[in-house]
Amino acid sequence: MSRLDTPRDARLDGTADGELGPSAVSPKAMASGRSSPSADVAVRIVGTLALVGVAATVWLGLFVTPNAVDYADGTVRLLYIHPPLAWVMYVAYGMATLSSLLYLWPRTRHARFDRLAGASAEVGVVFTGLTLVTGSIWGRTTWGVWWTWDPLLTTTALLFVLYLGYLALRNVPGDDETVARRSAIAGLIAFLDVPIVFFSVSWWRSLHQPPTVDLASRHLYVHGSMAWTLLLGFVSFTLTYSWLVVHRYRLAVLRAREEHEGLEVALAERWAEAVK
Amino acid sequence: MWRDALLVCGKDLRIEARSRIGLNQIAPFAAAVLLLFGLALGPDRQALEPAAAGLFWIAVLLSVVLAVQRSFALESSDSARDGLRLSGLDPAGIFLGKGAAIVAQLLVLEALLTAGVALLFGARLSGGLVLLAACVTASIGLAAVGVVYGVVSSGLRVRETLLPLLLLPVTAPVLLGATKAWNAALAGTPAHAGIWLSLLAIFAILYVAVGIVAFGPLLEDS
Amino acid sequence: MSGYIEAGYAMALGSLAIYALSLVTRERASRRRLPPAAPGEPVSGSPSAPDSSGESS
Repeated sequence: MSRLDTPRDARLDGTADGELGPSAVSPKAMASGRSSPSADVAVRIVGTLALVGVAATVWLGLFVTPNAVDYADGTVRLLYIHPPLAWVMYVAYGMATLSSLLYLWPRTRHARFDRLAGASAEVGVVFTGLTLVTGSIWGRTTWGVWWTWDPLLTTTALLFVLYLGYLALRNVPGDDETVARRSAIAGLIAFLDVPIVFFSVSWWRSLHQPPTVDLASRHLYVHGSMAWTLLLGFVSFTLTYSWLVVHRYRLAVLRAREEHEGLEVALAERWAEAVK
Repeated sequence: MWRDALLVCGKDLRIEARSRIGLNQIAPFAAAVLLLFGLALGPDRQALEPAAAGLFWIAVLLSVVLAVQRSFALESSDSARDGLRLSGLDPAGIFLGKGAAIVAQLLVLEALLTAGVALLFGARLSGGLVLLAACVTASIGLAAVGVVYGVVSSGLRVRETLLPLLLLPVTAPVLLGATKAWNAALAGTPAHAGIWLSLLAIFAILYVAVGIVAFGPLLEDS
Repeated sequence: MSGYIEAGYAMALGSLAIYALSLVTRERASRRRLPPAAPGEPVSGSPSAPDSSGESS
């Protein structure tokens, strides 16, 4: 059985041993695409906690906590999910950018960081979409409009489109290393734009019009059950993010292996036929 | 680096002078955009005049996409891109050269569009210095981001749809800043444009720096 | 009016659930498609050669 081409740099492919988890990996586990059993258990625990946490947040948020006095009937309940969703969005993009940096830095160049960047960005886009929708609903219930050109909401919308472009770029076919490097640089460029977008939109809103709708005035006095629910919301959604990223990351690894090993199996079969 | 930049810039501009794509295709495109805006927003000047600056800059933004596509289409014939890579030219110089050529084309385009906007939307031109400063800084920023994303998407089959998708969201701050600066100038209060001009300048400096650093690796990958 | 809030919750959670499900489903499908063991490697035995596992981090 000969390898036809030059040996791939398994490190950059990410198909090297340690790829899926700590080095205590059995070949059987490798083949099934799972990381070590202990990592597996950890992920399951995270997932379960996330599920429980989110369910609890929903129950508390919708049914248990009181209506805040200064907000229209029930609007405050969005508070338990909208800010957590936005928070996760920033965490996701931050993680994607960090991974892109790590990939570009020669000492830590490894396919795992490229895959992490892609996974985190994708989950980030999902959360961005949800942030936009919940933000829009907030506007609808508070001011009767489905869209306010509020700095935060507008910036979020721009981020949505920005990172959709990043994902589109990642999907363009090409040799793994090229795609990774190109995406990492594009990701950094996009991230650099985020503060600029934020400040420009804030100035745009504040300098030329009195802010008629100011989501920053969301300063309710959160106390008691409201505060705990909010905290629970942040924690649960962060756990959800983690679980989603792990699975998206695994999917990326599996797909890469499908590509490489599928090719090798096909080549092996061809060789077998030719030699027959 | 500067010598290479001049070389590439001169080459691109000479090709443009000979083929006149910018003049024959991009400028009419931009004019068409203005006309379509006029059609969409109604013949009533009252809707158009306050929007003149914004519409101007959207037309510019759309034209930048075309200009960048054109700039890299120049290289894709007959493996010119490989030639570019192997030529030993400093990639940062290539970046600056291509960017400068685009800036030159943009400035000419903006001059034409200014006349168009004054004519079609009844914009009263005042605060010329601010208008000019906004044009220069915005164009530099747009060209810089454009060349970076241009090289990223060059050689890809999906580049026609990918480039606009990548470019337009990133340039939103330029659109904002330039429009606000122009609004200030057209309204007769050019002093208010200061903060927006700074935004444009920061954007331009940042992305020129990014381009100088990132163009090399990106060129190798394309 | 409050119907919007519930709809918002439902939509947010529903989307996350759908996304999570799609990930798990795609993972399973991918695993099934993979060959049972990488060709050329022993099916049972010690973890593979040390040279490919020497990444930093």
